[in-house]
Amino acid sequence: MLSVIKKELRTYFTSMTGYIFLASFLFFTGLFFTLLNLGGASPNYNNVLSNIQFIFLLAVPMLTMRLLAEEAKQKTDQLLLTSPLPLKDMVIGKYLAAVAVFFGALAITFVYPIIMSTLGDISWGEIIGSYIGFFLFGCALIAVGLFISSVTENQVVAAVATFTTLLLLWLLDAIIQGLPIDRTSGVLFAAVIAIGLAILIYFTTKNIYVAAGTGLVGLVAIAIGYIIKASFYDGLMPRVFQWFSLYSRYNDFELGVLSLSPVIYYITFSCAFVFLTIQMLEKKRWS
Amino acid sequence: MIQVENLTKRYGQHTAIDSLNFTVESGEVLGFLGPNGAGKSTTMNILTGYISTTEGRALVNGVDILEEPETVKKMIGYLPEFPPLYGDMTVNEYLDFVCDIKGLSKSEKKQSQEKIMDLVRIGDVQKRLIRNLSKGYKQRVGLAQALVGNPKVLILDEPTVGLDPKQIIEIRNLISNLGKDHTIILSSHILSEVSEVCERVIIINKGKIVASDTPENLSKGLDDGSKMIVRVAGPEKQALKVIKEIHGVKLAELQGSKEKGTVDIIVESVPEIDIRKPLFYAMSKASYPILMLKSMGLTLEDIFLQVTNQETEVR
Repeated sequence: MLSVIKKELRTYFTSMTGYIFLASFLFFTGLFFTLLNLGGASPNYNNVLSNIQFIFLLAVPMLTMRLLAEEAKQKTDQLLLTSPLPLKDMVIGKYLAAVAVFFGALAITFVYPIIMSTLGDISWGEIIGSYIGFFLFGCALIAVGLFISSVTENQVVAAVATFTTLLLLWLLDAIIQGLPIDRTSGVLFAAVIAIGLAILIYFTTKNIYVAAGTGLVGLVAIAIGYIIKASFYDGLMPRVFQWFSLYSRYNDFELGVLSLSPVIYYITFSCAFVFLTIQMLEKKRWS
Repeated sequence: MIQVENLTKRYGQHTAIDSLNFTVESGEVLGFLGPNGAGKSTTMNILTGYISTTEGRALVNGVDILEEPETVKKMIGYLPEFPPLYGDMTVNEYLDFVCDIKGLSKSEKKQSQEKIMDLVRIGDVQKRLIRNLSKGYKQRVGLAQALVGNPKVLILDEPTVGLDPKQIIEIRNLISNLGKDHTIILSSHILSEVSEVCERVIIINKGKIVASDTPENLSKGLDDGSKMIVRVAGPEKQALKVIKEIHGVKLAELQGSKEKGTVDIIVESVPEIDIRKPLFYAMSKASYPILMLKSMGLTLEDIFLQVTNQETEVR
C-alpha cells in the first residue's frame, strides 16, 4: 500500500496537479483569512473555514479525477491488477495519497491561527475542532471523487461528473427545503426507488424475473408499511435526501463544537465510497 | 505448470473464448497464434488474473487463479499487449515501483534490478523518462517489468509488435534464452517468430483451439503430398509433356514464365515416391536444363490460413 501512496504522491508533484491544487487552495484560504480575520479584525477563524467550503468544488475533482480513470486509459491497471498487490490496497493507497495532499495543504493553513495567536487570544479548542471537521469533510468528498474516477476512463468526464455531484451536494439543503412533505409524495417516492432498484438489477443481471421480483417485493413492503404506520411516509423524501447532506453536517464544527455524530458520519461516508470503488473495479473484472 | 480447463469468457452475448483446454509443461515455450480478435489477449488476461472467467478454471502450478490470486500472481510475469508504463517516471523509478508492488525486499531489489536491466539492455536509458523512450525501449522496459521478482511463468502478449527487424531479433533471442529456465506463453500473429522460438504452437480462432502441435508437425500434418515448383529452360508444351511422363507424377501444371525462355511448372508427386532424381534425368535427357527446384512444403502462414479458413467454412 505504501508503494502506491508513494507513487501517487510523486505523480501529483511531477505533474502540475499537485501544485495547482496547493496554489489554489492556499490562495483562497489566504484571501479569506486576510479579508475576514485581518481586514475585519475578527478573531473568529472558524468563519474562514466554513466560508471556503466552495473550494472543494474545484479542489476535489482536481485531486481525484486522474486516480483511477488514467490507469484504466493507459492500461497501467493491468500492471497493478496482475501484481500480487491486493485490489483493496491499491484503492486505499490511492485514496490515502489524495487525502495526504489535502492534509498537507490544510496543515500549511494552520499558520493563520498561529499568526492570530500572536496578535491576541484565540480559542484553540474551537479551531482544532473546526479543522478536524473540515478535514473529515474533505476526506468524504475525496472518496466520492475517487469512486467517480473508477467509473470512467476519461479524466475530463471524471472531473466534470465529480464537480456536478459536489455541486448537487452543496445545493442539497436548498433543494430539500423545496421538496414536498405530504404522505402521497412520500409513498410515490418510495415506489420510484423500488422500481428504480428493479431496473438497476435488470441492467446488471439481465434477469427479468429477479428484477421484477425485487420490484414487486419492494412495492408490497411499501404497501404493508403504509398499513402499519402511514405516518412513516410524512416527509420521507426530504428525510432520505438529508442522509446525503454532507454540508449540513458541518454546522456543528462551524460553531466550534466537536460532536461525535458528524465525525462518525463523515468517516462512514468515506469508508462507504472507498468500498464502493473497490466493488466497482471488482465488477469491471467480472463483467 | 499451467492447466486450462474448459475456460470460457462471455461479454454479454459475445463469446470471446469458448471452452479452451490446454496444458503447458514446466519449462515449455508455448506459442499462441491467431488472427486479431481470436481471444489470445483475453486468455492471457484471465491467466494473469486481470479479468475473471465466465466458466471453467485456470491452474498455475496446481493453484486456481480465482481461489488464491495472490499466490498465482507471484508466480507470473506479464507483459500485456500495451506495456503498462508510467510516462512520468524514469526507468529506474518505474522498476523500483514494480519491485515494491511485487513485494521484493530492499536487498533483493537492487540486485534484481541490475540483473534485469542488463538482461534486456536498458541500462543506458535508466535515468530517462519513460515517455521519451522509443517504442523498442518501451517494449523492453515492459519486458523488464515482467521479469521483476523472477517469476517461473512468463506470459508475453505480442512482445515484438511495433519493433524494427533488429530489435525483433534481439527480443526473440532474449525470449529463447529466458525459455531455458522459464515456462513461457507467447502470443503473436507473426508466424515465423512463433516457429523459431516455440516448442509447441496452439492456433486459436474465434475463441476456439483449431490446432495444437509442434511447428514441424503442423506443417507435416497438413502437407498434402509433396509439391514442388520447377523452373526449366525450354518450350512450355514439350517440357510439360516430358514431366507428365515421369513415373510417380500425379499432377503437372504450367505456372507461367518469370524469366525469358523458361517455364515454371508445379509438379505434384505420389507421396511415397521421390521424383527429384527421375525429374533431373528426364530433363537432362530432353536437354531442358533445370534452373530451379523448390519444395512447396506448407509454411506456417499457409497452415494458419488453412486452419482459420476451415473454421470459418464449418461455421
